[in-house]
Amino acid sequence: MDLQFIEIIPQTGPMFMAALYTIFVGIVACVVGIGVGTGLLLMRNSSLLVLRGFARLYGSFIRGTPALVQILIFYYVLAPLIGIDIGPLTAGIMAVGFNSGAYVAEILRGGLSRIPVGQWEAAEALGLSRHKIWFRVILPQVYNSVIPLLVNEFTMVIKITPLLSTITVVELTRASQMLYNETFRPVEVLLLAALIYFIICFSISQYGEYLQRRSVKYRL
Amino acid sequence: MTFDYMAIWDNRDILVQGVLTTLIVAGTAIPVGIVIGVLVCMLRISKNRLLRWPAIAYIEIIRNIPLLILLFMVFYALPFFGVRLSGLTTGFICLSIYGGAYFAEVFRGGVEAVSKGQFDAAKALGLKYGFYMRRVIFPQLYGYVFPPATNIALTLIKETSLLSMLAVAELTYAAHDINGRTFTPVETFATIALIYWVISILFLKLTSSLQSRIEVRHLSQPIMTR
Repeated sequence: MDLQFIEIIPQTGPMFMAALYTIFVGIVACVVGIGVGTGLLLMRNSSLLVLRGFARLYGSFIRGTPALVQILIFYYVLAPLIGIDIGPLTAGIMAVGFNSGAYVAEILRGGLSRIPVGQWEAAEALGLSRHKIWFRVILPQVYNSVIPLLVNEFTMVIKITPLLSTITVVELTRASQMLYNETFRPVEVLLLAALIYFIICFSISQYGEYLQRRSVKYRL
Repeated sequence: MTFDYMAIWDNRDILVQGVLTTLIVAGTAIPVGIVIGVLVCMLRISKNRLLRWPAIAYIEIIRNIPLLILLFMVFYALPFFGVRLSGLTTGFICLSIYGGAYFAEVFRGGVEAVSKGQFDAAKALGLKYGFYMRRVIFPQLYGYVFPPATNIALTLIKETSLLSMLAVAELTYAAHDINGRTFTPVETFATIALIYWVISILFLKLTSSLQSRIEVRHLSQPIMTR
């Protein structure tokens, strides 16, 4: 079997568009994930037992079930339960974001544990409200210290997005499937898709490692 | 809305079969992945470039490509080269290869965490490479390696759900199957989510008890006795 990369190149336009779409979905899902993760972090540190229990249960559920099943649940279960049709893209982004949120919460928890107690004491001594202590003093430092890990989390999110092809979101994997069904050239198309994913994820994870090294060097 | 529990109960055979397939695939891919991981880790920490670079390439390529793409490549692209594998075999091979890369990185992290003095001391005593790796370095790894390796094994268990896309009749495929017969998506998907959750919790319980046992054994026993 001879590979004919040249022949399929004119037809790969949709794949590159889909690659951009994948990145877009990844970014939106990551933003959702950071929001959810922050919410879970606040719940974990709440004085209410119910909220702490919920955050723990949520984390356990997300880590204990496959991302694919979570996506299917968002698409097939939550939409009918609420009674609104949110469409595959929104459902997919929410599912990936809520999945990532549990992991972001763990990352933030690690960052929080490295904040010196003095920061809390100083903020309290200044008479800041609890709300201000969290959002103006503690969280900015937490985010700053975990940026490299959040960058790596973004590659994890990118690697989950292929699962959205099951609920008919036309991201890179779905676009590749459509192309090789059309051209009967799965070898070339899938190699190209793998290459695109590799370039996206590898460059982001290298950037994350660079940030990590720099933060160790300058103790940011 | 009402829950149709009968739809699940009537099709329990499919679910049981699905759970068994999931456990079989994960139960074979995890040990094979650990073996691959140890071997690749040995190559990765080697001083010889010809050994080290292929290991780096393998680890980086696998870790930066989604598992689904790997599955599709083996399942849809290999037949063009005359290799035709069933969905189950594809899943087993891909999960092993995929897990191997992650396990290798975990083991490398462990080896790097062991203090350098241990290597120097072992060498100064004139121990051979294979012997001091096996008897001095690896026993110290368990503490560092066990928790992250457990996470990767758990990930592999969860990733078996992707095999449903290759029509392997594991748990997620069973849910699609039941849903297709009874059209009860809410009940079926909620049920399999619960089943996966229970499997994960049991797995974590099992590994944490295993970990404490291993640690007790290695702490209570001098490393160098023969």
